[in-house]
Amino acid sequence: MAARAKRLIPVAAVACAWAAVLAAQQAPARRIISLVPALTEALYAIGAGPSVVAVSSYDDYPPEVKTLPRVGALLDPDTERILSMRPDLVLAYGTQDALKAQLQRTGIPVFDYRHGGLADITATIRRLGVETGHVSGANRVVLEIERRIAEVRARVAERPRPRVLLVFGREPLSLRNVYASGGQGFLHDLIDAAGGTNVFGDVRRESVQVSTEMLLSRAPEAIIELRVGAPPAGEQARREREAWQRLPGVPAVRSQRVFILHGDHLLVPGPRVALAAEDVARALHPEVFR
Amino acid sequence: MLQVADVSFGYGPSGQERPARAPFTLRDVTVDVPRGSLTGLLGPNGCGKTTLLKVMSGVLEPSRGRVTLEGEPLHAIPRRRRARRIAVVPQETHPAFDYTVMEMVLMGRHPHLGAFAIEGPADLAVSRDALAATGTAHLAQRRYMTLSGGEKQRVVIAAALAQAADLLLLDEPTASLDLGYQLETAGLLAELNSKRGVTMVLATHDLNLAGLLCSQLVLLRAGRVLGQGATRDVLTTAMVRQVYDVEADVSYHPGAGHLTVVPLRRSGHTDVHR
Amino acid sequence: MTIRRRLLLTCAASGSLLALTCLVAPLVGSTQISLLRALDRSIPFADNVDAQIFFIARMPRVAAGVVVGAALASAGVVLQALFRNPLATAETLGISAGAALGAILAITAESWISLGPFSPVAIASLVGALLAIAVVYLLASAPRRPLSTAVLLLAGVTLNAFISAIILFVQYLADFTQSYRAIRWLIGDLDVGTFAPVLGALPLVVVAFVMFSLLPSSLNLLSVGGDLAATRGVNVVNVQRLAFFSAGLATSAAVSLAGPVAFVGIVVPHLVRLVVGVDHRVVLPVAALFGASFLVGCDLIARTAMAPVELPVGIVTAMIGGPFFLWLLVRRG
Repeated sequence: MAARAKRLIPVAAVACAWAAVLAAQQAPARRIISLVPALTEALYAIGAGPSVVAVSSYDDYPPEVKTLPRVGALLDPDTERILSMRPDLVLAYGTQDALKAQLQRTGIPVFDYRHGGLADITATIRRLGVETGHVSGANRVVLEIERRIAEVRARVAERPRPRVLLVFGREPLSLRNVYASGGQGFLHDLIDAAGGTNVFGDVRRESVQVSTEMLLSRAPEAIIELRVGAPPAGEQARREREAWQRLPGVPAVRSQRVFILHGDHLLVPGPRVALAAEDVARALHPEVFR
Repeated sequence: MLQVADVSFGYGPSGQERPARAPFTLRDVTVDVPRGSLTGLLGPNGCGKTTLLKVMSGVLEPSRGRVTLEGEPLHAIPRRRRARRIAVVPQETHPAFDYTVMEMVLMGRHPHLGAFAIEGPADLAVSRDALAATGTAHLAQRRYMTLSGGEKQRVVIAAALAQAADLLLLDEPTASLDLGYQLETAGLLAELNSKRGVTMVLATHDLNLAGLLCSQLVLLRAGRVLGQGATRDVLTTAMVRQVYDVEADVSYHPGAGHLTVVPLRRSGHTDVHR
Repeated sequence: MTIRRRLLLTCAASGSLLALTCLVAPLVGSTQISLLRALDRSIPFADNVDAQIFFIARMPRVAAGVVVGAALASAGVVLQALFRNPLATAETLGISAGAALGAILAITAESWISLGPFSPVAIASLVGALLAIAVVYLLASAPRRPLSTAVLLLAGVTLNAFISAIILFVQYLADFTQSYRAIRWLIGDLDVGTFAPVLGALPLVVVAFVMFSLLPSSLNLLSVGGDLAATRGVNVVNVQRLAFFSAGLATSAAVSLAGPVAFVGIVVPHLVRLVVGVDHRVVLPVAALFGASFLVGCDLIARTAMAPVELPVGIVTAMIGGPFFLWLLVRRG
């Protein structure tokens, strides 16, 4: 035991020295630009909000960002404006290679965002905490997410797990071009946390374009549609729900377990993901949320 | 048979409609094509030969004047009936698709076919006959686009024959042919005229061809008729000078058996570049 | 061989091919189904997944393939003869672009306007296509003047480019998921879900085919030369109008049903001409029949190639059509 501890001493010493060097190099970022809405939310949640100087054109949460300058998005980042704002940290998508190369040439650090599952969301928030000097805020947010998701899991643990189709896009008033969650990514993890089994769990992709045949053969017992924005007026909502009646043979349609959820938080892999998990779980298992 | 009386015609910017101030391509043209005749249209480039042929075939409607086929106004005759009387051989024919020779010739039968345009044994017989008459029977199954220039011209003439019209309008039928094919085509036309009694109007630059074939000539310059009459009266040194600004030797060639024209030089008194 | 025999033989052959394709296509897919079970009346339909897949997912899809394939292939034949250009298609004329603009506006505006069997996107693309036809026609024809095919082609190409620019602009303004869905619509697919949209498009296609049936021999003459056709009794202006509007109508109906499925209008006519010759009296009906089996066949590949996931058919036709088109260009050169 002692021998092992002794062997660890030099390792710990090196790690400490390295951390000190890192800390000396990286003062907390003061001027942050976020091109990723999920990360913008995370910045505000962990307490880095006051350092955010610009956001992407798709950002609208939290409300504070509405007054901030917009500097483009995934496909059209306004590199010139980004540089002119003299940021000391830019949060960008991992695929924005041209932007990253330009920022690195000018010595501006880039936070590389990669899409992933539920675990990646919390890991990303922790990493964001380290990079922005808000480690404790990040810890608090992550623990809260983990606590709430654990609570959801606990509530639905004893319930039967329906086979769930999670739809995040389709043509209005029809069942064409239906897009659903595949067996990867945070939407797939959401279904799992909310007490369902993804009907496309075996498809190793984040999204699946679902044909009529696949809808019928996969025979989901519950269908959850996630939609961004406020719920439409009653008549439209009714007609949109009726679109599913074209496939009366699908068990979910037959047992009236088609749920169209509306909300801006539902498709954002950010700090509000626990809220989305609760919404999905409430739809799937209303009895345990009474 | 076909009378063109005081016809004027002008092209608009994009087709038939002539704006008020646009120049006429044809001016007060009067031509008489007697039955059984072989009429030559002569004149320099841009004088209106092709336009006159299109007016004669009914493709273009004259701005002024009238064209009559045996007394009947050309444009009052329904399209298909008109096509059974008048057939055209264009200067060049470039089909967009790779038709066989037989298909090209059968298309000449179009004005004779019924609603769904499926040709019967009679149409096939007429087409085979037309191929034989033009010496192209052996080409029937070949692709038109793979033929030589002379063969193509014969096939197009065969298609016009299959149309079984009694008036044939030809636009420079020998223009793109070499000497041998020119003679062959000329022989073919003469034979069709004499044996089948097909009336022909022939626009050409080839004065020797005109001398060989035509019974009468129409001389055009700048859209006007300069002269019209029997070939032996019209094809003269003075006419060549007047129409083409060229000094030429026009004489009867005993070996050829017709008038021949040997151009000598540009006439001095006119602008060479016009 | 007489035209009558050739027509009979080639139509019988391509008709049998179509019948065979249509028999096989509903039996194969991303899921295994049993035909016996699908046709077993003793199982309630609601509980018979095989029957549901057969009758709800596959049969309408095959029907849509037949209608769209026949319409696009015949429209290609007619337009190529009209423009005397073997490479002309409905895309060249801006019709597909008009349909695409309509569809994309409906997608980005989250349109709720539907009409009978036509979904909001279908109705918007139909209107877009018909408007494009009207605009191209008005550009190319002034009153009391014959249609100029050169101007028609230029107007179509220009309109196509212009509408494509507007589409890019609309896409730029749209949010991410909307542009993603718009791009997917542009690929074209046949998963119509029910017979209703097929039956909705069918009357338009039938009208177009009645118009087509008047055209073949005139198209032969027209493709040899406009003036020559006129001297052989063809009413050139009327035939050009009829050809343009019938091809436009068929394309509009097809595109509103399935999106702009690429290359069918070029691959099928050329393949057919390679086999049966170029006489439009044979080419047009055979292209309609073969176009139908071609698209149903491509969709069969699309549904099974990457099972359990299904591809949109437009990817398969483009994969076949792109290289084929290049080969044609090289061969012609």
